[in-house]
Amino acid sequence: MNGTHPLLEVKDLSVGFRAGKQTLTAVDHANLTIYPGQTIAIVGESGSGKSTLAHAVIGLLPGSGRVLGGDIRFDGADISQSSRSKILALRGSSIGLVPQDPMSNLNPLWKVGSQIKEALVANGVATGAAADKRVVELLEEAGLPDAERRARQYPHEFSGGMRQRALIAMGLAARPKLLIADEPTSALDVTVQKQILDHLDQLTDTLGVAVMLITHDLGLAAERADHLVVMYRGRVVESGPARAILQAPEHPYTKRLVAKAPSLASQRLSSVRARAEVREQAVQTAAEIASEIAHSEAEFGEGRSDIIVVENLTKFFTLRGAKPWQKVDFAAVDDVSFRLRRGTTTAIVGESGSGKSTVARMVLGLLPPSSGNVIFDGKNVGEIKGKAERLKLRRQMQPVFQNPYASLDPLYSIYQSIEEPLRTHDVGTKKEREARVRDLLDKVSLPTTVMSRYPGELSGGQRQRVAIARALALEPEVVICDEAVSALDVLVQAQILELLNDLQAELGLSYLFITHDLAVVRQIADNVVVMQDGKIVEAAPVMEVFDNPRQDYTRKLLDAIPGASIELGA
Amino acid sequence: MWWYVGKRLLQTIPVFIGAVVILFLLLQLRQGDPVLNLAGNKPVSQEVRDAIAAQYHLDDPWYAQMFYFVKGAITLDFGNTFSGQPVLDLIKETFPVTVTLAVMALAIDAILGIAIGTLAGLNRNGIFDSSALVVSLLLISIPIFVVGFVMQLVFGVKLGWTSPTVGGDWTIPDLILPAIVLAIANFAYTIRLTRTSVAENLSADHVRTARAKGLAEWVVVRNHVLRNSLVPVVTYIGINLGSLMAGAVITETIFNVPGIGNAAYKAIQQGETATVVAIVTFMVMVYVLMSLLVDLLYAVLDPRIRYV
Amino acid sequence: MYETEPGTRPGQERFVAPVDETPLREIDAIDVDAVPENQWKEAWKRLRTSVLFWLALSILGVIAAMIFFPTLFTDVSPSKAELSKSFDSASSGHPFGYNQQGYDVWSRTVHGARASVAVGFFTTILTTILGVVTGAIAGYYGRFADTLISRTSDVFFSIPLLLASIVVVSVLNNRFPDRGFWLSVLVVVLALALFAWPQITRQMRGAVLETKNLEFVDAATAIGASRMKNLWRHIVPNALAPVIVTATISLGVFIVAETSLSFLGLGLPQSVASWGNDLSAAQTQVRSGQHLNVMYVPAAALALTVLGFILLGEAVREALDPKARKK
Repeated sequence: MNGTHPLLEVKDLSVGFRAGKQTLTAVDHANLTIYPGQTIAIVGESGSGKSTLAHAVIGLLPGSGRVLGGDIRFDGADISQSSRSKILALRGSSIGLVPQDPMSNLNPLWKVGSQIKEALVANGVATGAAADKRVVELLEEAGLPDAERRARQYPHEFSGGMRQRALIAMGLAARPKLLIADEPTSALDVTVQKQILDHLDQLTDTLGVAVMLITHDLGLAAERADHLVVMYRGRVVESGPARAILQAPEHPYTKRLVAKAPSLASQRLSSVRARAEVREQAVQTAAEIASEIAHSEAEFGEGRSDIIVVENLTKFFTLRGAKPWQKVDFAAVDDVSFRLRRGTTTAIVGESGSGKSTVARMVLGLLPPSSGNVIFDGKNVGEIKGKAERLKLRRQMQPVFQNPYASLDPLYSIYQSIEEPLRTHDVGTKKEREARVRDLLDKVSLPTTVMSRYPGELSGGQRQRVAIARALALEPEVVICDEAVSALDVLVQAQILELLNDLQAELGLSYLFITHDLAVVRQIADNVVVMQDGKIVEAAPVMEVFDNPRQDYTRKLLDAIPGASIELGA
Repeated sequence: MWWYVGKRLLQTIPVFIGAVVILFLLLQLRQGDPVLNLAGNKPVSQEVRDAIAAQYHLDDPWYAQMFYFVKGAITLDFGNTFSGQPVLDLIKETFPVTVTLAVMALAIDAILGIAIGTLAGLNRNGIFDSSALVVSLLLISIPIFVVGFVMQLVFGVKLGWTSPTVGGDWTIPDLILPAIVLAIANFAYTIRLTRTSVAENLSADHVRTARAKGLAEWVVVRNHVLRNSLVPVVTYIGINLGSLMAGAVITETIFNVPGIGNAAYKAIQQGETATVVAIVTFMVMVYVLMSLLVDLLYAVLDPRIRYV
Repeated sequence: MYETEPGTRPGQERFVAPVDETPLREIDAIDVDAVPENQWKEAWKRLRTSVLFWLALSILGVIAAMIFFPTLFTDVSPSKAELSKSFDSASSGHPFGYNQQGYDVWSRTVHGARASVAVGFFTTILTTILGVVTGAIAGYYGRFADTLISRTSDVFFSIPLLLASIVVVSVLNNRFPDRGFWLSVLVVVLALALFAWPQITRQMRGAVLETKNLEFVDAATAIGASRMKNLWRHIVPNALAPVIVTATISLGVFIVAETSLSFLGLGLPQSVASWGNDLSAAQTQVRSGQHLNVMYVPAAALALTVLGFILLGEAVREALDPKARKK
């Protein structure tokens, strides 16, 4: 299979989108080459043009997208300018696609089997009963158990991972020579992600299919591909052998990426040392604050060293059963206990459905627990009576949420958003509040010119900074970050993590850090609580969890961090 | 699936009873002698008066009257018209024409509306799309009876293609023109909804995936764009049955179609409020049942619904 | 896996782009020069460039002038009937001639704008207020309030609008046989609004349900904002956009509904000059195919007005479209 002729050659390819009278260039003179049977990866942040490049190859540019120049040679023939029917002939049979979001890429109205069968029929692989039989084989091959029954089901009866397997079966149905895998697992839980990628690797190896893997995760790219193409703002900034790029990146952008990618950074001892310094300073500042609180009557709390103690916290949700009259009690959080020490960070790690966000909501008082206690600085939150006392408690705990596009009211200016908590608690005069907002913006490194802006005009990372500023407005002691960096691009993510660390050291904050991504934990947390199915699996200091995990599940999570086996340069 | 059907059936019952109760309460807002309201504004003898009072339970408290009203509606006993004819007989006489007319209108609305809407949606912002948009906006803006009159004038009077009015001995061809007029009001909305739905689906992720499989464009459109676009359109056409019935009152009046709408119009003209309410009650009942059917059809079209 | 050493195959050599060609941006840099805009300001900016919007506005401007300054268009009284002039053709000062009762057709049309638009306007206001309040309560508080409101709206929704208003008006007509202008408008408004609110309620409820789970609402709760404050300060303003579009378009629909009621003899009383009444009176002429301008003139005025509101609604919909907003 290792022919000497390239399977796909992209030369000087430019792709643009028309917006009004302008043409915006999404891909700018990009080059890449794939040989038969080879796996290469295109790495880049959102907006880097990596997906557009892939869609151009298969002739599926959305909307006003056009190839502006350059060649796409597939098996020696230029296809960038060929007719629709020629590209149609290539799709499926020569170039397959595994799309990004398994939830939206299957037609909800057709059975999964018939959607795969379509691909077989359209490419002349098989028809009728033979095709039905082949569909089951393909689903089995993609690692879907009980394939015969599954083929007769609809997409909504599948989990995300199962859908992605169906999409892989679909992409490989007509045995293409090239498979484009566009962030094939980004929407899935980490452990599922690893399983599916392993399976895809093995399958494409056996079949000798070349893979163009598109991903934002440098660690994952390096682990799965032998050739990397790094894209930045529409251009290929660096390409070459994966190991060489990782060990000695040359372009400044690649250097940044290699330095900051959390899956790689988590292995570095330097991040452990940096964290230790932050903690030392934060604990010291926090202790000073605590002694003040302990001696003051007006302050809320008693100045204890465990600022939050969670005892046997449980939450039941009532679900509809299989029959309309049946009700099933489902324990989303089951007997969870942990402590958060003043000036430190406790990370709660788990996959979707582990109950980690439900814990966060209960600690924040957004959701009443079914049983168990949340004790804030010696006071049992459930026993606090009276509006004034409850408002005092609110001041001490503030959230930063995941989705930077939903965490700020789009109709409030940045100033109004940050001022809202101050106004709700009647803090200061109008002038004082404005000074405070300026001060807060400065703390999160945003220029005061953004005060009159609206969230729609800011990027994800900027909004997250505003959300942090709002959370800090009332000078809380605890900030609860619910997947606060999960939706951000790699470099922005690193920046926000740094900001959180700096603020912790300066203000003596305590963080409860909820995340699905173990990779970021090492840079921010001191203690880790691993949750699965509503229960705590393992709780230990961060070093212990990484170096000496006691539970299989923790080990599985650690293994799923991509790029763990790669040797890095200095 | 069967749970869904059962649930929907159970949900229909309170809506059904609620609608009838509202109509009953509205009827109570009338002033004047309740007996005269039911017998026509002419003097009646004491015996007739007693008979009417007994038939309509006028001496019972209002909640008992309401109970009898609802019970009457469920058993299809709607009382009598001024002339003493049971309203049910009137309905039996007139309803078949209306059903025929409505089915024809629905077919025209669905077939033309979906076809034009699909073409417009597939070539968004093209010439066809723009003209369809303009025409549909105009059709929404002009009251149905004006459209009716103009069509009657042009095709019935001036061109003489059909008879301008239908009358007692109706045939299917006679109903074509009224059916077109009846369809027009909804037709514009059907076009627009289909267009939006098709255009939205065209850019859906799963359509791109279908293309990537190597399917021919027309297969993609047929299996993945059209099929998915039809789900909201079918629901909409179902909801529109309501305005179709209201439209029937007007269309049947214009073309003198001997249907239930025309009967309602005559009752309005003669101030027979009780008969009007009786006919409307019947139409509402039909509408509620039809909505139920459409919801079930929806479940057939969209597998996700069946498991809710 | 590969026979040759990595990086030696043609096309896969190590490549590094010249740095000056792809200068690095500061991560997450802020565009300091942009002018701040929120959703509404942005929508207004898009509205200003919309042809549709200006077309709608000019149509509605003319209609508004007819309502508030009818004498700009005609100095003939709409209530002056000269039977001797029945069906007289156009003459100076009477551009469209006379109708059967000897009213000046143009003057009736100009003065009829007031009643027709009043019905549409007040019905829209009433249904929107009712719908927004009930929909917001049902969507936000859920549970019992939601069940009560949703089931009630289901019942009202199950009676087609025109059929329902036929019943209401026939009953109320009998109650208030002699009505002045405002009372007659009120009767029709009540009849339409009573059965039109569920549409807005459903839409508002859906929008509130979507908005209330957004994170900024949780953030406000965590600050200590009360539930009421959350609902009216954060949720309702963000859920309002689709309702505004529906309300604008339904204004036109209500005007059409009023004329349909008038056609059935159930709209505004004959004494009130309204397009519905004029059109209803014109039906006998239409059957004969004579004196058609008696129908065309009010019909054109009506169609233009309705078109104006529908176009306005469309323009607003386009301006508020979240897909357009994200660029």
